Amino acid sequence: MPQMIACFKWVVDEAYIRVGASGDLDMNAVDYKISDYDKNALEEAARIREQAGGSVAAVTVGVPEATKGVKDALSRGAEKAFFIQDPSFRDLEPSQTARILAAVIQSRIPYDLILCGEGSSDLYARQVGPRLAELLGIPCLSFVQKLTVEGDRVVAERRTDEGQEVCTAPMPVLVTVLPDINTPRIPSVRDTLMASKKEVVPVRKEDLPDISSPFLETVSMKGTSLKRSGTRFTEDPGDVKAFVDTLLQKGVLK
Amino acid sequence: MDFKLTEEQELIRKNMREFTEKHVDPIAVEIDETSRHPEELFKKLAEGGWMGIPVPVEYGGSGSDYLTHIVAVDELARSCASTGFTVSIHVGIACMLVLLFGTEDQKKKFLAPMARGEKLGAFVLTEPGAGTDVMAATTTAVKDGNDYVLNGTKTFTSNGPTGDTYFVFAWTDKAAGRKGMSAFIVPRGTPGMEVGTHFKKMGLRSSQTSEMVFRNCRIPQENLLGKEGAGLLMAMTGFDHGRTGIAAQSTGILQAALDESIRYSKERVQFGQPISRQQAIAWMIADMATDLQAARFLTYHAAWMKDQGKPFSKEASMAKLFTSEAAMRHTIKAVQIHGGYGYVKGAKVERLMRDAKITEIYEGTSEAQRMVISGNVLR
Repeated sequence: MPQMIACFKWVVDEAYIRVGASGDLDMNAVDYKISDYDKNALEEAARIREQAGGSVAAVTVGVPEATKGVKDALSRGAEKAFFIQDPSFRDLEPSQTARILAAVIQSRIPYDLILCGEGSSDLYARQVGPRLAELLGIPCLSFVQKLTVEGDRVVAERRTDEGQEVCTAPMPVLVTVLPDINTPRIPSVRDTLMASKKEVVPVRKEDLPDISSPFLETVSMKGTSLKRSGTRFTEDPGDVKAFVDTLLQKGVLK
Repeated sequence: MDFKLTEEQELIRKNMREFTEKHVDPIAVEIDETSRHPEELFKKLAEGGWMGIPVPVEYGGSGSDYLTHIVAVDELARSCASTGFTVSIHVGIACMLVLLFGTEDQKKKFLAPMARGEKLGAFVLTEPGAGTDVMAATTTAVKDGNDYVLNGTKTFTSNGPTGDTYFVFAWTDKAAGRKGMSAFIVPRGTPGMEVGTHFKKMGLRSSQTSEMVFRNCRIPQENLLGKEGAGLLMAMTGFDHGRTGIAAQSTGILQAALDESIRYSKERVQFGQPISRQQAIAWMIADMATDLQAARFLTYHAAWMKDQGKPFSKEASMAKLFTSEAAMRHTIKAVQIHGGYGYVKGAKVERLMRDAKITEIYEGTSEAQRMVISGNVLR
C-alpha cells in the first residue's frame, strides 16, 4: 500500500487574463486554479489509493492566499495537505520550487510514490518533477500516460517522440504524468465541504533551509495575438490548390 | 459587510461550471428541441450531491446552506435553464417543505431519497381556475377514517410527468378560508392520481409540465404534511424558497445572455470593425452587465437572509421580480445583438429568450411579486 505524494501548483487561470492593445497582460481580475496536469497527478494518486490502498498527501508551494487551492486539492481525494507558504513564493523558478519541495518532503513526509504534472499550466518548464527526483536521489519516470503499482515497483507507459515505452522502476519513485493518464473527477458538493475538515500542515519559510536566489529574471511578459489575413478557401479544387500554394508561400509547408 | 462567497462556495461554483461544460452544454440544444427529460444527466447530478445541497447529511443531502444551492442553480441555469429549474424546484420547494414541516418519519421516508436525487419532487398547487388567486382552488381532501380522499384537477405541474414525490394542496375545510387548506405527500403510483395532459411549451422545454388529476385518491393520515389547515402558510414558505431559486435561474439566464453577447459582438465584424465597438451595442452590453450584477446581489442576498434565519419573503419576491424581468429584457437584446443569427434554432440566445419568459410567470407572476412587495412595504 503505497504512501503517495501529489504535488500541485496553484496558478492563474489563463481564461481570465486580459491582453491589452500593446500586448500587456492585465491580471487584475484573474482567478486561480490547480494547474491542469497537476489535477491529473492528484487524480492518479486518488485512483491508485482507491484500487491499491495507501495514502495521499497533497503538497504545494505558494503564497499564503492560496488556501482555496489547498481545499480544492483536498476535495480531490488527498487526505492531508502540506502547504508550504510565504508571500515571496509567488514567482519561484523551478529550481527553487524543487529545492523547497525536496527539503520539506525529506524532513516531513514519508513516501513511496511522488506524482507531479508533466508541466505547469502557466510556465510549463517541466523541470520541477525531474529536479525533485534528482534532489531526493530517486528514479524519475516522465511523460507517463499509464501507471500501475505492482508490489514494490511501478510499471509506467511513457509517451516518447519515438513511440510508446513501457518501463518499470522500484519505489520510491517520482512520476510525472500526461493529461491522457486519466480524467480528473469533478468533486461532489460533499467532497468540497469535507475538504476544509481535513488536516493541513503549514510549513513556513523560516522552517526551510536557505533557498538559492533565482537564476532567471523576467524582463517583460507580453500576450501573443493572432492576426488573421481574412482569406477564405472553399472545398473547390482550385481553392484547395490556392490554399496549399499559400501555405508554401508563407513557409508553413516546405 | 462582506460581499465574498466562501472558498467552498467558489469551488462549488467552479465545479458546477466544469460539470455543465462536460455534461450539460453538449445536450442542452437536443433536450430543448425534443422536450426530453435527461434522466442520465439527473443521475450524474445526484452522484455529485447537487440534488440536495442544503439538506442535512443525515437526510441524504450535502449538508450545506441555501446560498450554496442558489450559487449552483445560477451556474447550472447559465448552461441550461430547464435543468437549473428542475433542480431548483426539487430542492427549493419539495425538499425544503419536508425539511421544514415534515415529521421525522416523513424526512426519512420522503426527504432522504429526494435529497440523494433518487426521487424527484413536484409541487402541485396551481389549478385551471386558481393561479395567482390560490384561494380559488377547488381540489378537496375529505377525511375518511384514517385517510384523506383527494378530488380535483391541478395544472401546470412542473415535474408532473417525471416526478416521484408530489406535494399536493387541497381544501380540508374550505369554510376556514386561509386556514382551510392542507398539504399532502403523494408518492407516484398512488391509485387515483393520474398524470393528465402534457404541455408543449414555448420555452423551458426539457422541464416536464402536465395536469395532475385526482379521482378518489386515498392518502393515509401519515402523509399529511404539517398541521391540517397549515397548507397555505407552507405553500407561501415554499414560494419564498422557490422564488429565490427562480431568481437564481433568471440570473443564470442573464449571465448566459451576457456571455453570448460579449463573445458574438467581439467576433462579428460590420463596417470594418467588431460590432462591440459600436456604441449602440456596447451600451446594451453595459446595461446587461449592470443588471446582472444587481440581479446576483438581490438573489444571493435573499438566500443569505434565509440562511440567517430571517424572514425573506420580500427579498425573495424582489429578487424574483427584478431578475426575471431583467432576464427577459436582456435576452431580447441579446437576440438583437446577434441579428439574424440569433433568430435561428440552435443559437443559444434564441433558447435563452424563450426560456426567460416563464420566469416572469411561474412561482408567482411579476404582478404577484409586486403584490407581495407592496404588501410588505405598505404595511
